[in-house]
Amino acid sequence: MAASVRMDLGDIQGDILRAYGNDYDCTTYAFMKIECPPEQARAWFTGVVDHVTTAAPWPPGEKPLTTLNVSVTARGLRALGVSEEVVGSFSREFRDGMSSRSALLGDVGPSDPKSWEPGLGSGDAHILLTINAQRTSDHERALGKMKAAMDAAGGLRIVYQADTELLPGSREHFGYADGFAQPAIEGTSDDKARGGGVPLKDGEWRALAPGEFILGYPDEDTRVDPKKRLPNAPAAPLGRSGTYMVWRKLYQDVALWRRVMRDAAKLYEGGDEHTLSAKVVGRWTNGAPLVKYPDKAPASFDPQTPGGNDFRYDKDKDGMRCPLGAHIRRSNPRDALGFEGHLSFRHRMIRRGMPYGKVLPEGVTADDGEDRGLVFVSFQASISRQFEGVQVQWLNAGNIFGLGHDKDFLLGDPHGTGKMTIPGKPPFFLSPQEVFVRTRGGEYLFVPGMTALAALADGTAG
Amino acid sequence: MSVQTSSPGPITATGTQPRNHDGQVIAITVFSTIKLPGRLFLPVLFQVTRRVPKLTATLRELSFIHFARWCVIGKLPYNGPPQKKGRFRYPHMYFESNFNGGWEEYIDAFSHILTSGMTAFWGTSYGFPKPLPTAPFKRYIQDNETEADHYYCAYPDATSTMIQRALELDEKLAALRRDAKRMQPDAFAAAYRAFLTDAQNAL
Ligand code: HEM
Repeated sequence: MAASVRMDLGDIQGDILRAYGNDYDCTTYAFMKIECPPEQARAWFTGVVDHVTTAAPWPPGEKPLTTLNVSVTARGLRALGVSEEVVGSFSREFRDGMSSRSALLGDVGPSDPKSWEPGLGSGDAHILLTINAQRTSDHERALGKMKAAMDAAGGLRIVYQADTELLPGSREHFGYADGFAQPAIEGTSDDKARGGGVPLKDGEWRALAPGEFILGYPDEDTRVDPKKRLPNAPAAPLGRSGTYMVWRKLYQDVALWRRVMRDAAKLYEGGDEHTLSAKVVGRWTNGAPLVKYPDKAPASFDPQTPGGNDFRYDKDKDGMRCPLGAHIRRSNPRDALGFEGHLSFRHRMIRRGMPYGKVLPEGVTADDGEDRGLVFVSFQASISRQFEGVQVQWLNAGNIFGLGHDKDFLLGDPHGTGKMTIPGKPPFFLSPQEVFVRTRGGEYLFVPGMTALAALADGTAG
Repeated sequence: MSVQTSSPGPITATGTQPRNHDGQVIAITVFSTIKLPGRLFLPVLFQVTRRVPKLTATLRELSFIHFARWCVIGKLPYNGPPQKKGRFRYPHMYFESNFNGGWEEYIDAFSHILTSGMTAFWGTSYGFPKPLPTAPFKRYIQDNETEADHYYCAYPDATSTMIQRALELDEKLAALRRDAKRMQPDAFAAAYRAFLTDAQNAL
């Protein structure tokens, strides 16, 4: 199949199939509300669409100084004048919106949408503009241009803006290298199939069908369909080359995390806080996976080198190396659920998150009141099957892994069992589970392809 | 009816109608009309699968499935009006199952892992697509699924895997308690650690 899939890169927005990478160190997410009639909004939108960055490769040396990408919420579609009938062709969860799924997603207590930041989850967010740049005057200029265009058009308001910046070494705030384990996609990243694709029973791997991530292309169901039907997608031309996007602002309480791990490590064998924390994540801070390096982190490890992500859990069924409840083992169990990966291969997502806020200096265990965390972004053909499947069935519940009501220790809350079992002889019971990560807001969005954007802009999307 | 408990646990029963789940458990009920060959074939299939447990080993290995049951029925018990009395014009297959997790994941497991079994059980029903691809198969199940009027689970917090593990733990703990009575502190410490190591999958 690999040979037959040719992706129309000029029709797909950038940063989905392939990451822009570390070429840009800051990203601004600006959520807009349309407060004017659809025709007026479309006039502005036309100007935006002209500057959108596609997935077409850049000629050598011609990397743009800044990039622009656009996505819309269901209300955004309506505000642009898309008919109810066409909006109805989008998935249920997208139409209902993230905040309506809070009980399911575990956005309760301090993460309840009632206490989200204004502008998020309230129905005000219509359009999301994502701007990437180096932290230079280019960034300022791009933001300035965006605001000038909005002011000129009138009837538009930024209801929420998040400014994010890469941390040194591509770390997230708890200190771990993040973002490199990604699904391998046919026709795009076949070379990453080992470790990134579907683990087959003969020890081989295969890349995933592109339709798992970009609509209008064959997905894993098409592969086994003699009629080669394509997955469900919004009505043409909106469906083709588009994808669904999950955007979540996740606050990380770094000081609390450090205190809990420090105190818990006093009871842990050898008192080693680094090992204990790595057990929670499933990787050492430099990204080296525990299944491969169970005792200590290799002095140097580059997760991007070929084979850096190539591992399975078959030799570690009891989790003595990488706990069954480790974040990366829960969020992508690879072969761990057995049945040739058939219980997990349709629950993959492309992650393009960015950390926000200043680093809490090493060793500090008292909160400094700064807002910091991760803007979690994922792209997938189905929010319910892929993102929600992982969040609900794998991170917030432990049953499928034989972990009862244990929640992901990194992301969960104390209302499961409030602990994590670190397998060993004897095992260690890590507690208390605190709320280290809180949802501060989020939206379900759709990232249209270029043809679809043009149709939205000229009012011919139906 | 869904019973509220003090700690309902996380919501994991997803992707189905509200009356089809209670706590962690989902009920699925599907009726399909059987073609003539099915009337002859299915009773044989049921006998064979009952006699040769190996044939359904994979189904039993999928521990989030409590049970799955297929049978052929010619009529429904009479419950009073507005139900009509009498037999169906055609025999129907009645399928019921209880499981943990999401509806989609459950049908996916049927499609991908129990592919030939699904064809055997449903192949003689009218309108049955094929277990793969999954999308038409899911639509078929959805079209023929009946929402429960009443679904009750005695332990809405627990899954079948949890109950199994709890039973294993109970046995091991009972043994430790029994032996502990005769142990000196040192011996108990060693026995306790050995117990934790042995039972960690259930803790
Ligand atoms: C503040 C919140 C979070 C933090 C700090 C965090 C941290 C990490 C880290 C350090 C890794 C390993 C690096 C890598 O594989 O790229 C990772 C992997 C991953 N995370 Fe998270 N994560 C967070 C939230 C989430 C959420 C909400 C989801 C999904 C619902 C998720 C899904 C994943 C997946 C799918 C992987 C890749 C696993 C693999 O392919 O082996 N994460 N995360």
